[in-house]
Amino acid sequence: MAQYIHFNDPNSEEMVATLDRIPRCPGVCFFMDINRSTDIKYLGGLKDWGRKLNNTFNNLLYANHFQKHVVKGIGDEMMLFIPEEVLQKKYSNNTCFALLEDIYASLFLIKNHPDPGLYLNCKVAIHYCTEVHNITFFEGADDYYGSDIDLTARLMSKSIENRIVLSEKFYIKAANDLITLGLPMETGCLARVSERFMENFKGVPVSTAFRVIDVQ
Amino acid sequence: MEIVEDKTSQCVIIGITGRLDTTNYTLLENKLMELIDNQQDKILVECSKMDYISSSGLRILLMALKKLTAMKGKFALCSLQENIHEIFEISGFTSIFEIHPSREVALKSF
Repeated sequence: MAQYIHFNDPNSEEMVATLDRIPRCPGVCFFMDINRSTDIKYLGGLKDWGRKLNNTFNNLLYANHFQKHVVKGIGDEMMLFIPEEVLQKKYSNNTCFALLEDIYASLFLIKNHPDPGLYLNCKVAIHYCTEVHNITFFEGADDYYGSDIDLTARLMSKSIENRIVLSEKFYIKAANDLITLGLPMETGCLARVSERFMENFKGVPVSTAFRVIDVQ
Repeated sequence: MEIVEDKTSQCVIIGITGRLDTTNYTLLENKLMELIDNQQDKILVECSKMDYISSSGLRILLMALKKLTAMKGKFALCSLQENIHEIFEISGFTSIFEIHPSREVALKSF
């Protein structure tokens, strides 16, 4: 559970000391955004919009066992964070590669479902975070803050419908998983990974390397 | 996960035992694509011993269904455990796959 930060005194030394003691919490962060849902709110109303969001969120979350890791959901966008220690304890989906494969498969299932009226296509950004802390400023809430969380959000600006944007850091973790498993680099969705791109994101002092995978 | 292939006069039956997930879905993918490439156009997947399926597993089943439909063949599933049936339902698969309660019932449909 997140460390709750709440001090009445703005100059509290105890607050500074508490913040100083909070450990980093490495893990995988990803943002998922459901496309076209705003249009549908106007065109189809709550019945159509709500039904499609229900179906899409179910499809994204249920089969992948991500429900407990949704940190924030704002309308048609959600942020998930899976701490490294939680990821490693999972029976399956316990590596970055496995996680990526299942995210790809979820997007594939939505894109290729024979009934196009049931779901909405999605876009995703994913990053392996080291600069992150499990803290909250709101009592009872679970949240994660850090420059790597901000970077994951920035990566979303490079995603489009049916695309997964992965930071180079995450790509290297997934590629290393393949080496550990003794599998070739072209295994699964990594066979479709792009070359490396560089981008200067707003507020990020150094260039960020990333790749993309477009869902077939 | 284990895959067992059984040929009958009506179709090829692929029996899955265990968990079908990201660590092993390629085994099923290779088996199904091999059958389809060899013009085997009637396939039944028997799921009574399959106790978990991930999105990666669902993707392979959808790919096989699309290929066999394009060949005017038949792809059906049978004997889904309750938790697997629930995943199929949430994924919108119950409306697109032919799903039978047992192997016997499924074979009669081929």
